[in-house]
Amino acid sequence: MNIIELRDIKKQYHAKTALDGIDITVREGDSVTIFGSNGAGKTTLLKVISGIMSPTEGKVFYNNKAYSESDIKKETFYLGHKTSLYNALTVQENMHFICRLFSINHKGEFVDSILKEHGLWERRSDPVNELSHGMKRRLALAKGFIINPKVFVLDEPFTGLDLKWRASVLSKIKDLRGKGKFLILATHLVEEGYELADYVAFLHKGRFLFIRKKEEVDIKEIKEFFHSPGDDLG
Amino acid sequence: MKFMGHAISILRKDILLEIRGRESLSLMLFLSLLLLVIFNFALDIDIDNVSSLASGILWVIFVFSGILGMGRTSMAERDEEAYLSIVFSPVSAESFYIGKVLSNLLFLLIMECFTLLFFAILFDFEKIISLLPQLLPALFLGTLGFSLVGTLFSFLTSASRYGEVLLPFLYLPVVVPVILGGVTSMDIILNDKVGGADKWIQLLAVFDVLYFAISLILFRYIIEE
Repeated sequence: MNIIELRDIKKQYHAKTALDGIDITVREGDSVTIFGSNGAGKTTLLKVISGIMSPTEGKVFYNNKAYSESDIKKETFYLGHKTSLYNALTVQENMHFICRLFSINHKGEFVDSILKEHGLWERRSDPVNELSHGMKRRLALAKGFIINPKVFVLDEPFTGLDLKWRASVLSKIKDLRGKGKFLILATHLVEEGYELADYVAFLHKGRFLFIRKKEEVDIKEIKEFFHSPGDDLG
Repeated sequence: MKFMGHAISILRKDILLEIRGRESLSLMLFLSLLLLVIFNFALDIDIDNVSSLASGILWVIFVFSGILGMGRTSMAERDEEAYLSIVFSPVSAESFYIGKVLSNLLFLLIMECFTLLFFAILFDFEKIISLLPQLLPALFLGTLGFSLVGTLFSFLTSASRYGEVLLPFLYLPVVVPVILGGVTSMDIILNDKVGGADKWIQLLAVFDVLYFAISLILFRYIIEE
């Protein structure tokens, strides 16, 4: 079984410690939700996992091989706070560009059907910078479903989505589970994150307060962690 | 085959971005025209001294318009972290780099053709057009070197908030041999000086190879952090 491992990850921004001794192992098919308040280090952790950012100390491994040097990086879909879209290009042009990079046939029904599923078909000829924030997020996510990679690293995937599309995206991400994917996501939306998780982790001031199987953590417990004053945690 | 295919896909995307956004080439063309007009007023250029001043004026325009344009193509990648869609794809860092070099090279060459044409019209200097076949090797190799290093440095500095200010300070000292080679070889050809141009063109070719090898290795590290 393939595994992604983080060993004693530390990340420092000048004097500030963003991550402080993170250890985690994610197995193929596992879905890990990382909860944490603003500034807990979730985004930094996801950037380190996906290889965008190098840790100050420690390493990320894929099957004991440095993640950044393994082929798996090319099979990673990272959705960050920004959309990784070309704003001046249209919805369809962005999709076609991605298809060319991944040698996917963009002339067939496949891309069109993904755009329809994500409610973007009507806006396919519009430049991305004319879309609403929620539409941009949907388009950014749609890219992941076109590529269909092995690793999904999603940072706040529900941000900017209205209730209808939040439910739709939730069910699409849910469908990924059990398909042999690695699913690592960070969110502060407890219900959605909990529903998607096999494992639940809570990050506070760059350290994991816990990583447990979902069955071992009650959703109320996670909510309480969010409501605890910072000093009571850890 | 895939290696070049990916680079061509990036080139196509950049051309499309330029058509849609008009952020790079259009700015370069506008600046080069503006600089030509400024030189026209600032220097007392006439039929007697135009050939001795031409190469210097032209390369100053190429350099400043080029820096502006290359800065913009890199900013387009950093905007919304769009370049991550290439980083997280089967495209190698080397293909990515070559794709960006090709698009910068294309935009620079278009800007240079435009500038040469307007220079010839503005200063009544048709000779520069008739000598174009002889000027072409120096112009192409100089522009290639300019693009090879510019792509690297513009991507490096675009990560910073002050990227467009930093770019000329970091980039110009490194690219001096290319500018020197371009100006001198062009000057020799335009002023019918005997010999020497070939040596400068060879020097440009050597620097291009060096810059290509070094930039190809370094680009990977720039996009990864």
